[in-house]
Amino acid sequence: MARIPVTEEALVERFGPHLNEAPPGGWDADLEIDRVVDTHCCFCGQQCGIKLKVHDNEVVGFEPWYEFPFNEGKLCPKGVKRYLQGSHPDRLLHPMVRDKGSPGGFRQVGWDDALARVVSEIQRIQATYGDDAFAMLSGVSLTNEKSYLVGKFARLALHTANLDYNGRFCMVSAGAGNKKALGMDRAPNPWSDIPLADVVWTAGTNVAETFPITTSYIWRARDRGAKLIVQDPRVVPLARTADLFLPVRPGTDSALFGAVLHELIRNDWLDHEFIDAHTVDFDQAAAAAADMTPAWAAEITGVPAARIGEAAELWGTSATGMMLHARGIEQQVKGTENVLAAINLGLATGKFGKPGCGVSTITGQGNGQGGREHGHKCDQLPGNRDITVPEHREAVAKVWGVDESEIPGKGLPAVAIIEAIHAGEIKGLLSICFNPAVSAPDVNFTREALDKLEFYATIDFFLSDTGRHADVVLPGSLHEEDEGTSTSGEGRIIKINAAVDPPGEARRDGEILCDIAERLGRGEHFRYGSNEEIFDELCRASSGGKADYTGATWDRIESEMGLFWPVPEVGHPGTPRLYEGGQFAFPDGKARFHAVPYRPPAEVVDDDYPIWLTSGRVVSQYLSGTQTRRIAGLVDQYPEPLCEMHPRLADSLGIKNGDQVTVTSRRGEITLPAAVVTTIRPDTVFIPYHWPGKKAANQLTIRAVDPVSAMPEFKVAAVKVARAGERAHP
Amino acid sequence: MKTARYGIDDRPIFVIDQSRCIGCEACVQACSECGTHRGQSLIHLERIDRAASTQTAPMVCMHCEDPTCAEVCPADAIKQNEDGVVQSALKPRCIGCSNCVLACPFGVPKYVADFDQMMKCDMCTDRTSEGYAPMCASVCPSEALWYGTPEEFHAHRRGSLVDGWLFGRQAVTTKVFAVVDDVAAGPIDVLSGEERGWLDDPFALEDGAR
Amino acid sequence: MASVTSSVDRRGVTWGLVAVAVVVALTFIGSDRLVWFDAALVGYLFGVVFAVFGVVYRYAVWLRRPPTAMLNKRGWDAFKARKARNAAALPALVGTHVLGQTFIYRRSKTRWLAHQLVFWGCVLAALITFPLTLGLLHFQSVGQQADRYQVYVSRVGTAQFDAGTVIGWVIFHGLDIAAVLALAGVFIFLRRRLNDPGALAVERGGDFLVLAGLFAVSVTGLFLTVSSMWLDGQFYSALNTLHALTVILGLMYLPFGKLFHIFQRPGNLGVAYYKTANAEGPQAVCRRCGDGFASAQQIADLQEVLPQMGFDYGTADDGSYQDTCPRCRRASVTLAQSARVGGFG
Repeated sequence: MARIPVTEEALVERFGPHLNEAPPGGWDADLEIDRVVDTHCCFCGQQCGIKLKVHDNEVVGFEPWYEFPFNEGKLCPKGVKRYLQGSHPDRLLHPMVRDKGSPGGFRQVGWDDALARVVSEIQRIQATYGDDAFAMLSGVSLTNEKSYLVGKFARLALHTANLDYNGRFCMVSAGAGNKKALGMDRAPNPWSDIPLADVVWTAGTNVAETFPITTSYIWRARDRGAKLIVQDPRVVPLARTADLFLPVRPGTDSALFGAVLHELIRNDWLDHEFIDAHTVDFDQAAAAAADMTPAWAAEITGVPAARIGEAAELWGTSATGMMLHARGIEQQVKGTENVLAAINLGLATGKFGKPGCGVSTITGQGNGQGGREHGHKCDQLPGNRDITVPEHREAVAKVWGVDESEIPGKGLPAVAIIEAIHAGEIKGLLSICFNPAVSAPDVNFTREALDKLEFYATIDFFLSDTGRHADVVLPGSLHEEDEGTSTSGEGRIIKINAAVDPPGEARRDGEILCDIAERLGRGEHFRYGSNEEIFDELCRASSGGKADYTGATWDRIESEMGLFWPVPEVGHPGTPRLYEGGQFAFPDGKARFHAVPYRPPAEVVDDDYPIWLTSGRVVSQYLSGTQTRRIAGLVDQYPEPLCEMHPRLADSLGIKNGDQVTVTSRRGEITLPAAVVTTIRPDTVFIPYHWPGKKAANQLTIRAVDPVSAMPEFKVAAVKVARAGERAHP
Repeated sequence: MKTARYGIDDRPIFVIDQSRCIGCEACVQACSECGTHRGQSLIHLERIDRAASTQTAPMVCMHCEDPTCAEVCPADAIKQNEDGVVQSALKPRCIGCSNCVLACPFGVPKYVADFDQMMKCDMCTDRTSEGYAPMCASVCPSEALWYGTPEEFHAHRRGSLVDGWLFGRQAVTTKVFAVVDDVAAGPIDVLSGEERGWLDDPFALEDGAR
Repeated sequence: MASVTSSVDRRGVTWGLVAVAVVVALTFIGSDRLVWFDAALVGYLFGVVFAVFGVVYRYAVWLRRPPTAMLNKRGWDAFKARKARNAAALPALVGTHVLGQTFIYRRSKTRWLAHQLVFWGCVLAALITFPLTLGLLHFQSVGQQADRYQVYVSRVGTAQFDAGTVIGWVIFHGLDIAAVLALAGVFIFLRRRLNDPGALAVERGGDFLVLAGLFAVSVTGLFLTVSSMWLDGQFYSALNTLHALTVILGLMYLPFGKLFHIFQRPGNLGVAYYKTANAEGPQAVCRRCGDGFASAQQIADLQEVLPQMGFDYGTADDGSYQDTCPRCRRASVTLAQSARVGGFG
């Protein structure tokens, strides 16, 4: 049983999070810089260029990389302090096995012992319960090479169908929507299109805090006179200056989009030529929106009807326009529908395939784009191929040198894997860079599930909250300790360069996986001389797929400051803007409208739980905080979660700013300080999710998922709120 | 394309547009990486009134032509470079009295008790003297803090640049420029700007349409 | 340099001349009417006299700047207001602020070490050379004993010592020890200055000059010892001239450059008393947020000084912008700027 070996306090004492305050040697050390390495930030899908300064195999500082075209030296606070994650006292340096008697609950062992244990447990569990009883969970902080390798490893070495990744909590609704409507899962535009837009509409994306660099792109558009529409339950920092603010109630975005489509049709703000030439099924979408009047939507969304009309007019009458959406509309049980409804607005007004036009997701995780292309999703093979389609399986099997039948079928998505563990159907787990103990919905359930595993091994660089459950801990590599590529949110393949070697006995992630494969007797498929060889194989495996990397090479990526896929042949210049000339990624070249009738969230407020909860991020923390909660400057900026609520709500509950409040849902409760602010809807509270244990916002969230994308509904739950120690009065 | 390194004839300027600040604190984090005061962040960034708004106030040293801080320094410790950049108090001289902290109209100098010394933004003299942008203006994601030539500014930014301020009757001219819509309206009158052009009733609580 | 004004400050000259007169008188009396004055050191005496004049002149001018005068007055006021307590606190203050220089230690340990080395080297050298130069101190051999000496202060004989003992060695090599201390400090400073791009950038010319000067004085001094001990006095006179030149130039530089801080910096003792008194007094209240933000005394003092320096922060409501706390100043600047760009904010 993979239970936490010792008390939380003992674990924290040994493995942190401790705070790294200063570079190696202290601020005062005048170290000679051995070399400066051009690479990228690891904290979010923007993948900003950054230069890391190295002294004696330690990263000791950074320098802005002005020449990298995406961010031109700009960084958010996470990027500035990212270099402090290296040379960290919490860094895992040796393989360990769980041992209650050792300090911190883990005992150092040799690599041989650790890997022998992992392999014997994999074999025991698969022999006893079947191949699929051993699952793998992966993360998209990993490079393309590692993502690809994990996919191949799970299918050929573990021979399990049950591989999924943490992009399941991030990007999958956008991916599913893009594939259904446009035929391909990639942001349709390079970011250089944003300044060319006459209207910029951000929907469910707190750009200033989660993608700060995009702010400058939006300002460049506004400098040209563009209007800014912000759709959010909170007056997020960018909304403060917006031309039009749509204060949407959590979980009602498709109603808002439906009403805008209704208004576009009613006022004939449509691009009929584009609709006729380049799309199908407009009539179905129009029929579904026929009754979605602004007045109807105002009731559901809380956005005044007049503002819905204004939004439609701005969007419909502007020659160019970009809509940027993110987790706000995507992390819902109708995330895919929301994305489809947003795309409908782009198709109806012809805003695709032209400069300054597009409806685009903003990828959240570091390699959220590349990581969802190369086959470590449960239903996917490299090149963004479908694991259920025989031709796709054949193509990949050929590159892998195996028979098609050796590739397992479609497995369970992340939440279902956790549920299967909880139900006792999955008995063993190997995870890499995934921290569901913080990031999964309903984390109390997740922790119970982890406790039930017969065997759990993790590859990571810090001991995450999930890793504390592990039987075997394998120290892997940090972003700056390994070489490879990632693909940024705008579809640009970029080069990640190693600044230093892994410290202590830690090893590069790929070497660990290949070593395990070797010991499982599958070594013949996992003998690589370098990560570049893995990339070359990835390119071959992607050839002919949608995410086609055929013509990409490490050299080109580096010398051209990135390369936009698809790069379908050698020498191809890459494809910054998709769908030019209205050519969409379907055999007939036509985009698909979708009928998107409105349906409510999985859980709606009622007398017992009368307040909406929505969750999200703060600018100084990244995802589950495994890395960023260890960097002093970032922790100082926002040390602990706060519950944002409007003074009207606070007054009605007798709550004052700074009071400890208890927020309770049907899954759990959390007690934290109240931040009473007028910048949030009075019927909604907001809690950021980066913290573990009793501070985890995901104790409250619901384990309901989108039927298409399997994305959990992080953005909507029903809660009650009371001052701590008092009973809630609904 | 941003110029990575400016030459001697480029004459780059520092521009501040506080209205664009998103409060991310990249500048605060980057400031402590500046070579002349490593480990000490000297830029200011505060929430003006978080209960009411997300607006934040970033403040670098504006580098006054006739710096009040230097004039009220009893130790004669605050010096201006030839290019007009006002430096941190000279370490040997500063006697830690905080006159400058209290007199600066922009509220810039910081008294660092540990060092018994005033420290302030020196526009990253280590960087600007080599042609590189200061740390804060290098990283600022919203370009609220910006460094470049006037030509680069006007090529992609709207608004005009002013370097004049009024604090009551006191007029102050600064090396750092601020962005305004209408340069003809004269210097920025600091005491007249309290009015808030706040998003009117963002949640439509007043018109009953919610 | 602000204090070297274009027109000569008369009061400064007066104070400078008074100080020079005192030094000359001290030399005359102290050396028992020049009986014990070493004529070979007359060049040094000239340097000392020049330095004394320059330092006192500059100090006098400095003290008359309105902010300095105000602080000087308030520092003494504060001291006198609680004489007993303040006098009792003085040794500790001198220990940390003047001798131990803990504020440098907190900034950087190596910088502190370097500064301490240079500081004590210079203090030691000054304690030896100034009395020697002014003829206040000299050594005489005792009777016929070649190795036994007695220290004379003016004409009063004090302790005796053997040249061969450790004490004797230390006394005769005091200046060598001072030179070694200073050199060690200079090297640490130099290494920092050359390696640290930040320090290089804010380099003000004088910084290297001072290090070069300290180096020259120390090395030429040490060569004198080398010459007399191991080279049978070869090159001694040339070296002696060179050394004298560096010292005299150093003394003449004292009032102008970076080293003037030696006399200025103890002002932070007065500041310490001023701050303590202010902390116990009433607080100034910000005109915008209504919170206390600084000592009312210091704000009042500043508002007296500002007009003297040519500033007028008066407001239309007959108040002063200077009654705004720094935080609210920053907020007001931001709000005013934001109001000028479309009014959002």
